[in-house]
Amino acid sequence: MTFGGLFTFSEFDMWYLPLVIVGIAVIGAGLFVWWRQDMSFDGTYEPMSAGVPFKNIQIRKVGMWVFLMSEMMIFSSLFSTYMRYRQGIPRCDTVFNRGLFDPVTNPDGWQDGVAVTCFEPASHLIASSWWHIAPGAINTFALIISSFTIVQALRWAHKPVGSVDEEVRRKRVYRYLGATTILASLFLTLKMIEWFIGFHVPAIDLIGLHEHEIHSLYSEGYLINNDHYQHHDYVDEATGAHMVANIQVSATLFYVTTGTHGLHVLVGIIGLAYLTFKAWTGAYNPQSAVSIEYFGLYWHFVDLVWVLVFPFFYLY
Amino acid sequence: MSHKIMGIDAYWMNFYGLMILTLIEVLAVGANLGPTAEGIGMTERQITLWILTIIAVPKFIMIAAIFMHLWGENDSGILTLTALFPAFFIIIMVLFIGLTHPDAGIGLPDWCRPGNYGL
Repeated sequence: MTFGGLFTFSEFDMWYLPLVIVGIAVIGAGLFVWWRQDMSFDGTYEPMSAGVPFKNIQIRKVGMWVFLMSEMMIFSSLFSTYMRYRQGIPRCDTVFNRGLFDPVTNPDGWQDGVAVTCFEPASHLIASSWWHIAPGAINTFALIISSFTIVQALRWAHKPVGSVDEEVRRKRVYRYLGATTILASLFLTLKMIEWFIGFHVPAIDLIGLHEHEIHSLYSEGYLINNDHYQHHDYVDEATGAHMVANIQVSATLFYVTTGTHGLHVLVGIIGLAYLTFKAWTGAYNPQSAVSIEYFGLYWHFVDLVWVLVFPFFYLY
Repeated sequence: MSHKIMGIDAYWMNFYGLMILTLIEVLAVGANLGPTAEGIGMTERQITLWILTIIAVPKFIMIAAIFMHLWGENDSGILTLTALFPAFFIIIMVLFIGLTHPDAGIGLPDWCRPGNYGL
């Protein structure tokens, strides 16, 4: 909310800055206390809640769920904003299909070179071919697999003492956590490729594939400040006239929502790197495995959000 | 969690299910659904949205129930209620917007249209 205030209507407002700093300081202090407790946590003392309704449930677990509730509100506000604007602003292809402006026969049409405000979903670019959609689709599978690898790490950490060799346990836990970290890093890497870099598709004669480039969203001009966006589809074949669009709202919604999710993945990578290091030292056993479980809740939540972001921002 | 679904470990079963549903999602977007959509009086975009929504719901539930342990644990009930608590505020928010602007579903007031922020 404070970040929203800071950049109200695209204008920087210094008066909100102290609130932002306080917010970041509170989060930082919370994370520091969590880390300090977790570093020395060996499972011998796990504080339990004594009050209703969370009686006899681990306090850290309850805390994580309350935190996830606040996260749900953040993403709900982003989704509801997206839904509202998506319904309230006509799609650019709908506007284009109205045809060229004519004061008598087509007063609702568009004019060559005059920007129209319309909603251009990122899916128009991303879902335009299998190659365009590949980074997002691979990311979806990467997140699901990472959700699975982290529960496997938890499962191995949870195995009763004596039922498994301790060295095998150590290796399994840190390898599963390491795999989760790698998958999370792959997610962000592919996102950067999709946003800024693009990629080259080589010719494969065997399947009749021609050599071509997949451009990034950035090079396609899908930008939050673009009020003169041109898509190669929006050309009138008869006259050669171009429809230009103000896509600031649609691009902003896409980048803010997927960017907020990406930021959560980045935070997750930091947490996962710490957990992997701790697992490598052999710190996890059935008593201390709850640390993986609590972080796992956060990581599954990140996956959960992507389950909604992917179809509605990338495919639809 | 050491539950089984149809005799198979719940984590593995959930993993297989999620992978299959995601594959269907991607294929649904790539497939030509135009003729099917016409047959039932919808546009291709509408039918795609329905498919994506119908698939997203079980995926959401599968991750929350199995991976996040909201099913089959002693504290699952109260933690599920905790997770659903924000839904109350989300519904209030949607109702509030709907009541304030009866045409919220199809139109936006001028003040929240691009270019009219300063009003």
